[in-house]
Amino acid sequence: MKEGRFVLLCLLMLAVQVIFNQFFGLSRYVMFSLLPAIILMMPRNYGSVVLMLIAFAIGFAVDFFSGGLLGLSSLALVPVALVRHRLSGLVFGDGVDAGIDIQTLKRITYQKEVLFFFLSCALFFTVYVWADSAGTVAFWRALLLIVLSTVVSVPLCMYVSRILRPE
Amino acid sequence: MARRSQFFLGLATAAVFILLEIAAIALLKSSAALQDVWVNRFSHNVSAVFWKGLTQTRDYFSLREQNDILAGRNYALFKELQQYKELAAIAGARSLLDSAKLEPRFNYIPAEIASMGTNSRHNFIVLNKGAADGVTPYSAVITPQGVVGIINSVDRKYSYALSFLNERVSVSARLGKEGLVAPLQWDGTGTDHAILSNIPSQLDIVPGDTVRTSGISSVYPADIPLGVTTGSRLIDGAVHVVDVKLFQDFAKLRYVIIAENPDRKTIEELEQ
Repeated sequence: MKEGRFVLLCLLMLAVQVIFNQFFGLSRYVMFSLLPAIILMMPRNYGSVVLMLIAFAIGFAVDFFSGGLLGLSSLALVPVALVRHRLSGLVFGDGVDAGIDIQTLKRITYQKEVLFFFLSCALFFTVYVWADSAGTVAFWRALLLIVLSTVVSVPLCMYVSRILRPE
Repeated sequence: MARRSQFFLGLATAAVFILLEIAAIALLKSSAALQDVWVNRFSHNVSAVFWKGLTQTRDYFSLREQNDILAGRNYALFKELQQYKELAAIAGARSLLDSAKLEPRFNYIPAEIASMGTNSRHNFIVLNKGAADGVTPYSAVITPQGVVGIINSVDRKYSYALSFLNERVSVSARLGKEGLVAPLQWDGTGTDHAILSNIPSQLDIVPGDTVRTSGISSVYPADIPLGVTTGSRLIDGAVHVVDVKLFQDFAKLRYVIIAENPDRKTIEELEQ
């Protein structure tokens, strides 16, 4: 039941992301992405391989429906899926693998949560901006875009994570 | 067992990651011209770095082969040059005697150093050529940059030489092209210094003069450059000792040439 709700909410978030991409043409200055939150909120018993396959499919779907560059979101999201378990272990400690479920979420501190989302979003946007600009954007401008997009997306992702896993 | 399965799981994860990223890049490449150019440029750069690295690695491992080829060429050129020098000298002498038959004075055998010492005051060298290759005792061990030593004893396949960096070895040297002849000996301090002794005090020593083998000895071929003078000191108010910086870097020494004088015994008998 819970998983069904989770899948439905994920689809909804994907739709929101598609709408974001299609109707908010601010990508020159800042980008929003909920995709890292969807990957980070996946059940913790999913292995890295499964997560990466899901990330690829999600990225492909978003690019396909929003008419963007096919493969761009997949390229940026797969590394997030790859490092998810490692990153959660690093941020929350070894004993709290993928501490995104009910019990763990209650225990982790707010700062750790912010750090976790910040690092994931930063990784996502680094790859995304790097591939999207294709070497045509100056380094400092690309860096600014990465930082701004990360800073804007972290609270969004945290908000989405609470919708996806209210427990 | 658990560690092994974890290793294979990590390997599979890495493989899936790489495959998915390649798939994403392929999609990206086909969906936009800009990204197509970018990916192509990136792949060209990566392949350039890869091939450069591969070429450098291959070059590194083929250095020994290249060294052997260069040493062989070096030897052939040196031999030819020495023969020309000797022939020119003999021709000069023979022209006075109106003789037609000219023969080089030394036989040359290329060799590689099997073992060498440089840390004591009585250093030695073991060469990979012996009696089977025509090496005889009291042959000179030389390079185009100087004298390396003198063969002391000979085995069938190897020969043992006293290094020039040995207090017992001295070489008859000439200061300048036509200058004074004096014994050159290692000064025992470094691997690139020697001294010319017994130089009369009235002689002016100019730093930068080239010191060569004199050719007077029956052991060493003439006119092999040995080093340059760097300065001189007056000893007991009577004779100069001239400091010489050697051309030959003993630390990098690997290939040498053995110069054997077939007439040495005859000359020594005559001298006696």
